[in-house]
Amino acid sequence: MPIHEVGYRSWNGERTSQFSRWSVICVTGIRLASKPKWVRRILFVAWLPVMYWGVGFFFLEKTMDANDAPVSQFVGDFSEETLDQKISRERNKENARKRLNQLRNQLAILGIDDPGFQEFEELALANPDLINNFRFEDKSRPELLRSLRSMGKSQAQREGTREIRRALRNRFSLFPHTEDLVDSLDSGDKERIRNDVWRWLLMIFFRYPQSLLILFLIGTVAPSLISRDLRSRAFLLYFSRPIGKLEYMLGKLCIPAAFIMAVTTLPALALYIFAIMMSPSLTVFWSTWDIPLRILGASVALVVPTSAIALMLSSLTHESRFANFSWFAVWALGHGAWLAIVLATAMGSPQNAFHPAVQNSAQVKNWSMLSLYNCLGDVQAFIFGFESLSDVWRGTLALACITIFSLIVLYRRISAPVRV
Amino acid sequence: MPEFLISLTNIVKNYKTMRALDGIDLGIKPGVTGLLGPNGAGKSTLIKLLLGLVRITSGTGNILGHDLGSHGRQVRNLVGYMPEDDCYIPGMSGVEVVQFAACLSGLPTIEALRRAHEILDFCGMKQERYRIIDTYSTGMRQKIKFASAIVHDPQFLILDEPTSGLDPEEREALLARVRMLWTQCGKSVLISTHILPDVQAICDEVVILSQGKIRLNESLSKLSQTKSPSFSLRILGNEETFVKNMKQNGFPNLPNSEGDLVFESNDPRLAEIIWNTARESETKIHSMIPARNSLEEIFMATVKEATHANS
Repeated sequence: MPIHEVGYRSWNGERTSQFSRWSVICVTGIRLASKPKWVRRILFVAWLPVMYWGVGFFFLEKTMDANDAPVSQFVGDFSEETLDQKISRERNKENARKRLNQLRNQLAILGIDDPGFQEFEELALANPDLINNFRFEDKSRPELLRSLRSMGKSQAQREGTREIRRALRNRFSLFPHTEDLVDSLDSGDKERIRNDVWRWLLMIFFRYPQSLLILFLIGTVAPSLISRDLRSRAFLLYFSRPIGKLEYMLGKLCIPAAFIMAVTTLPALALYIFAIMMSPSLTVFWSTWDIPLRILGASVALVVPTSAIALMLSSLTHESRFANFSWFAVWALGHGAWLAIVLATAMGSPQNAFHPAVQNSAQVKNWSMLSLYNCLGDVQAFIFGFESLSDVWRGTLALACITIFSLIVLYRRISAPVRV
Repeated sequence: MPEFLISLTNIVKNYKTMRALDGIDLGIKPGVTGLLGPNGAGKSTLIKLLLGLVRITSGTGNILGHDLGSHGRQVRNLVGYMPEDDCYIPGMSGVEVVQFAACLSGLPTIEALRRAHEILDFCGMKQERYRIIDTYSTGMRQKIKFASAIVHDPQFLILDEPTSGLDPEEREALLARVRMLWTQCGKSVLISTHILPDVQAICDEVVILSQGKIRLNESLSKLSQTKSPSFSLRILGNEETFVKNMKQNGFPNLPNSEGDLVFESNDPRLAEIIWNTARESETKIHSMIPARNSLEEIFMATVKEATHANS
């Protein structure tokens, strides 16, 4: 008999709270699910887009600072001006010079010698649209003075975001809601621009790189969560303890939820903090306080239906590979069907399939609930403030129905082995 | 100590159209109780019912001071259950499985780990406890299941086929542990098994369940006594003549699975008659042992009786 063996001894310690037992299932599940190398690799890769987006936030803040000319120039180069745009810009400049001469003559006739005019002249040459669209011929003396001063001020604010606007139009036109963003940039209100651009960047972060990574991450982690318990009859280990079916479900649901949040919520919050640190003052927080809440909201909208579907598929079979296949099939078929509708709509109109007019057509909107990915995107766009509820109610309803259906099936599948 | 740890009154459990338990009246006293029954008798349903995993259709019951059916969670806090089937979480080591079971029962994480090691020592698991459970033999998994069942120090243990898959040495050791849990630690045990020698080795009480009804609930010592005096004989010489003469005297030979001659009678002179008949038949008695009822015989007779009663 080993020296440390003490035989059977009673245990009279204090037990943990009944309400925290689900966390044991969750923590153990996360530990087990993180063991495979592939999961750890995907987790690592999932944080790489954070760096890319971090660079985005850095340049945004620098270009908004009108004094930072080199960075502004860098963004200008990135925005890839086309030859047509260059020719048009040169023509505009030529016209602007002519208009400036006319304005100078007009000012001389009216006897105005305003010290702010020189500043206005520089701005007008940098942005020819300012002077080309300015109707000064029929203005009286005080009106002209007032217009010149206010235009000089607002143009100074608009100037900083000019290159971003061009980058958005040329580089990111395929992304959703770029037009809304350009409108915001045109407003010239720095606080509003910052809030809008941060929200847009984070929404795109959720919608594109992280969605794809979640597909693979949850496809690796979730299929075995319940199917493995069914195959190895581990449910007896749970249900012969003081654990209820709902606690088991909650514990299991928290496993994919934790993985999803690890690659969406945490990096998004990290990006937000990074952006705050990059901004000129910490007071920026007061104009962007809603963004962390929107991140949490978008995470919940993503986590709940995704985890419920993944676990439902896992509970339908004893073989995790079938659950794995079903997971990818649900996403691929749903999105494929929706894409087919978009293409069909595009074929009936002169625009291409990715044109916003096609994607916003009534027919495509009606069928958008076929695609889980699209429904999630719509709801997230609403949460980030780029869509109204009337535009996304179909997607929200579809997600709610899918979630409730998945949870009911999951509960019944969990109860089944115990009932018999 | 209460007279009955578990008392069930007129319990009925229906699965749609099938009646799994049919008016069960049962009282289980502190000690080691064997639950016997043929396949499909309703043993598993009875165990699930005790654990509060299935709802009773009708009837009332009390288990460890809690109402049956409405306090499943409290009952499972006090009961340790070792299922018959393989039941483990792939990818975990033996000690992690036992620790996990302890945490599910409410032990704090660190304490659960300490307790898991202590119980695995008690169960005779050595360094193999650190191996992944998927690589374990059936016997090792049985040990892990047993350790998981007792790690949270339950008052009452339900063991479903605890010795299946164990080699004779391990079987002896496990039965000794179970017996010790009752004699030294006061843990009452309900063992559901088909291995009758296991029941005979450690049980105080026997419950036989057949076709959803309790057919027998008696202490093993009482059951072992025969209703009337009988003897088991081995004869040297002409066995046929001896049997013939005994029959003429009014004592027919009873069938016996071990090939012995068995004579049973309420006549107090039975031993004397046997000796006289042997002398008359010119045979010698090699051995003459007062016969006792074997559990197998009792089990077979009870189940047969139940089948006849229903048909």
